[in-house]
Amino acid sequence: MVLTLAAGRATSPSAWRIVEYQIISARRFWRSIAIVGVFTPLVYVLALGVGLGVVVDRHGNQLGVPYLVFVAPAFLTAAALQIAAGDASWPLMAGFKWIRTFHGMVATPLTPAQVCDGNLLWIAIRVFVNSALYLAIMAMAGGVRHWGALLAVPIATLTAMSFAAPVAALTASVTAEGQAFNILFRFVVTPMFLFSGTFYPVSQLPAWGRWLAYVSPLWHGTQLARGASIGGLSGSAALEHTAYLLVWLVAGGALARWRFRLRLTE
Amino acid sequence: MNVGGMTESAELVERLTAADPTAMISARRLTKVFNGFTAVDAIDFDVAPGEAFGFLGPNGAGKSSTMRMIGCVAPVTSGTLRILGRDQATDGPAIRARLGVVPQQDTLDVELTVRENLYVYGRYFGMSRAALLPKVDELLDFAQLTDRAKSKVEPLSGGMKRRLTIARSLINDPDILLLDEPTTGLDPQARHVLWDRLYRLKQRGVTLVLTTHYMDEAEQLCDRLVVMDRGKIVAEGSPLTLIAEHSSREVAELRFAPGENAPAAESVTAAMATASARLEVLPDRLLLYVQDGEAAVQRVRETGIDPVSTLVRRSTLEDVFLRLTGRSLID
Repeated sequence: MVLTLAAGRATSPSAWRIVEYQIISARRFWRSIAIVGVFTPLVYVLALGVGLGVVVDRHGNQLGVPYLVFVAPAFLTAAALQIAAGDASWPLMAGFKWIRTFHGMVATPLTPAQVCDGNLLWIAIRVFVNSALYLAIMAMAGGVRHWGALLAVPIATLTAMSFAAPVAALTASVTAEGQAFNILFRFVVTPMFLFSGTFYPVSQLPAWGRWLAYVSPLWHGTQLARGASIGGLSGSAALEHTAYLLVWLVAGGALARWRFRLRLTE
Repeated sequence: MNVGGMTESAELVERLTAADPTAMISARRLTKVFNGFTAVDAIDFDVAPGEAFGFLGPNGAGKSSTMRMIGCVAPVTSGTLRILGRDQATDGPAIRARLGVVPQQDTLDVELTVRENLYVYGRYFGMSRAALLPKVDELLDFAQLTDRAKSKVEPLSGGMKRRLTIARSLINDPDILLLDEPTTGLDPQARHVLWDRLYRLKQRGVTLVLTTHYMDEAEQLCDRLVVMDRGKIVAEGSPLTLIAEHSSREVAELRFAPGENAPAAESVTAAMATASARLEVLPDRLLLYVQDGEAAVQRVRETGIDPVSTLVRRSTLEDVFLRLTGRSLID
């Protein structure tokens, strides 16, 4: 073809090309991304960690650490999960339905599975960066005791992705205007935040409440992040929590790839 | 004679089963079924290198389903489809690496700039930054969008978005360009600009495969086309041969006052009874397929029939299509 100036050496594309696209895209929204990243932890630290924390600490705190130190790793993990769930819903829906960019991607050598993986990778990167920022703000507010808390960042990312992967599968499956997401956030994400040992140990809950916590990936992530930050978590328990999150991630990821393939090739 | 017959049927079997190795695209008994509905029904076709090949047909004829199979984004239900010598079923990514696709609905990222859309798409093909930067400039120029390079896509006109989509489809220097209803929804001027760009590509030897339900578009752009109806190919040939084979040289269009179409059709049939003519009754007018249109109009008027208006024109693919899809024919 005469149009050719320099074909250049083309390498086999991968899911990272989707990440690159998302980075170019995010340059337009970095302010709002940064504001969410800073504002959310500040509000939580002030309202709950400091405000509620003063009440708890003055009324016979039996947690062994100041309340802010107790809730900081849990807030970080919960925030990561909420951001990832959000990013795996509406923005992915746009790619399938509203601006249809995913249909453009699969017309190239990229496969639906790579489009799926690339989007999940991008969400993971965003959540990782956000969690690091969150941790820094918590540390400045006095919510971090020792270096182990650094592990909360990868733990929060794993927790967030273990939930975001099945949400991505859901997004690839819904064809209406996304009302399913309202139900997801109202009846799954928010209750999970309240019943996963974020604000209090789940041992305070009756048996049914404890079981709600046990199935929720957020509780397992919170236990891990808190264990890394404060201690008091046995190695075997840490392994169990990690394994549970990995099961969600692997199963959810496989489900998401399958649903992406069905949606993008018909 | 018997031997000749056997050779003929052997050739038929050969044609039905073997893909043409020199073809850019070769389909045999290609079939697509969705939930029990047969969208594409065992079609055969070959597209030669450098050819502009069209699928012509109404909405729902199976054109888009065929295009999605060629684009390796929809699996084949049965039959074979070979593209660039590779099997569609197993070599999707390798085939897609050498295709350019202009989908029916835009898939541009409206939040990105014109330039970013081209750049990002090139990256999906694994192209290096160094190779992409000059390529993007060249395509901006080709699509006449250089002065809008830094503009977001959102505010662009429909014609500009289509040109950007075409530019984007050329980012990997494709061997085959697939265009699904490329000018649907555009105003006439934007269509002509687009046709000019596509014609240039054709001149440069790019193999074009397009679907359209616009007869003028098919006539303008296609060297050869197939007419599709209800999932089947009902005719194949160049626009001129299709017109020569399936229609008359000229068409006299006779328009009558509302409601008078049907009675007029009877009298016109009677008037033309001795001539070799064919009448097509449309809701708003009668089409008289004849060798000499002016003479036919004169003959109709001489018998006392008085149409509100008349128009004599050459046959087009539209007439071929009316004929082939088997609507009311009065000979």
